[in-house]
Amino acid sequence: MKKLEAVLITGRTDKQGETLEIGKTSKEYFEHLSTVQMNQQDMSEINVKEGDTVKVETEYGSVAVKCKASREIDRGIIFMPYGPWTSLISPVDTEGISMPSFKGIKAKVYKASGERILTIQEIVEGYE
Amino acid sequence: MKMKQVFKDVVCSFCGCLCDNLEIEVENGEIRPLSKACTVSRSRFVNYNRDRVPYPMMKINGKHERVSLEESIKKAAEILRNADRPLIYGLSSTTCETQRKCVEIAEKTGGIIDQTATVCHAPTVVAFQETGEIHATLGEIKNRSDLVIFWGCNPLQAHLNHFVRYSVFPKGMYTEKGRKERYIVAVDVRETRTTKLADMFLKITPGKDFELLSVIRALVNGAKINAEEVAGVSMNKIKELVEKMKNCRYGVIFFGLGLTMSRGKHYNIIATLNLVRDLHKYTRFVVIPMRGHFNVKGAGMVLAWQTGYPYAVDFTRGYPRYNPGEYAAVNLLVNREVDAALIVASDPVATFPSPAAKYLTQIPTIVVDPKISMTSLTADVVIPCALAGIETEGTAYRMDGVPIRLKKLIEPKEGVLPDEEIMEKILKRI
Repeated sequence: MKKLEAVLITGRTDKQGETLEIGKTSKEYFEHLSTVQMNQQDMSEINVKEGDTVKVETEYGSVAVKCKASREIDRGIIFMPYGPWTSLISPVDTEGISMPSFKGIKAKVYKASGERILTIQEIVEGYE
Repeated sequence: MKMKQVFKDVVCSFCGCLCDNLEIEVENGEIRPLSKACTVSRSRFVNYNRDRVPYPMMKINGKHERVSLEESIKKAAEILRNADRPLIYGLSSTTCETQRKCVEIAEKTGGIIDQTATVCHAPTVVAFQETGEIHATLGEIKNRSDLVIFWGCNPLQAHLNHFVRYSVFPKGMYTEKGRKERYIVAVDVRETRTTKLADMFLKITPGKDFELLSVIRALVNGAKINAEEVAGVSMNKIKELVEKMKNCRYGVIFFGLGLTMSRGKHYNIIATLNLVRDLHKYTRFVVIPMRGHFNVKGAGMVLAWQTGYPYAVDFTRGYPRYNPGEYAAVNLLVNREVDAALIVASDPVATFPSPAAKYLTQIPTIVVDPKISMTSLTADVVIPCALAGIETEGTAYRMDGVPIRLKKLIEPKEGVLPDEEIMEKILKRI
């Protein structure tokens, strides 16, 4: 299976703020947060289309999320809203200053048809 | 109360903009923004009663069971009293009054207190301590700025009214033509709504901010650079920006997590602050971090005036000590160096790297929050509280350090207290 090498940027979005206020256990929050935005050509390269499930994998873990096409992102860069799904794959080392690097993380993305996307309840259960 | 009430000049308690010009209608327990609220703010007011923590809860045999407020407070105090080194964490989405009580709990229990800037603008805080900050209020920027640079931030998605109220569109005392009088620059690794509205967009290679900032600073200081491009940006464009910077009347750099969270972290911010300082050879220039949660600035303020340090403060020896890479929440959890936690108005299980989140779910944890969070799903004790800025008043600091009084619009549900009172009750029991 073809794996795309990419740089993962995590960040806040307005939709995240809106759905957060509806509630963290809401369907809206789940649907917006458990996504990755990618360049269309990058998507073709790993043979996925909008709405397909992909796996994003870093040195620290992997997570299944839905794929979203973005016209704004260059090839080789992927974007995920910062939250429960990115925490599963974010770096741990804080380089002496309290915070891991949540932007510019080396990642691989590949098609993961049929893979279940975890809910926040399931992520918590996985931790416990 | 059936009566319809309209509140004017209401403060929104979502982001660091703390917009204080909203008009809000309250009727039959429903809240409707009438004007000026952004989509996030609107969602906050309209949905204020959704996904609330329904009642005080304790984990009994692995399941959350309803308990009385008294029982939950007794248990919370017991957990904190019995811990060798509790972590008190969060603070940024509540009032300064509550933050002050949290410091008192940390001191009394010999614990550690940290706030959400720790995974956000911590590098900014550290850089300010290193270099100093050339600062202004947003009001001054509205009235004077003619060059506005957004570096690694996207206000049109994260601080939605920033453009309208403070930085791009408003007409001020010396900026009578508003947008027409301002030149807007955006620096980002990707195209965003903000970069599309800018007059100049510098698309930079991820992780190369320090390089670009250093070259700009060198050019400002008259150095010659032999390169055709730096960090993915052409030298012509960089030189054009440098000329704009030197020749503006009043410049400002707003920066966000694109700088703090990328490679280099506090060195990126130090480079920015030094650049702003050097620009004073030519003109007036200021710099403001785009702070996220509505009172994260206040959390830094309260901690600094109470303990001398802005975050990651350890009281284990009975007096405050400060060492970000050691006493910060992520480090403590990853290294398993705390044995209980009090989480106030934040959700570390949702945002911390998984080993930190995992350890937090394994130690006795108390959550005080108005709404259900991921951390509350796993906490041993969950105590609901009133929503700051909707059900209770208090003080919050805007991103530029201006304190603003939050208003109370509606009574909380019977028995639900402001978190300040809950902290006071816990303190008395410890």
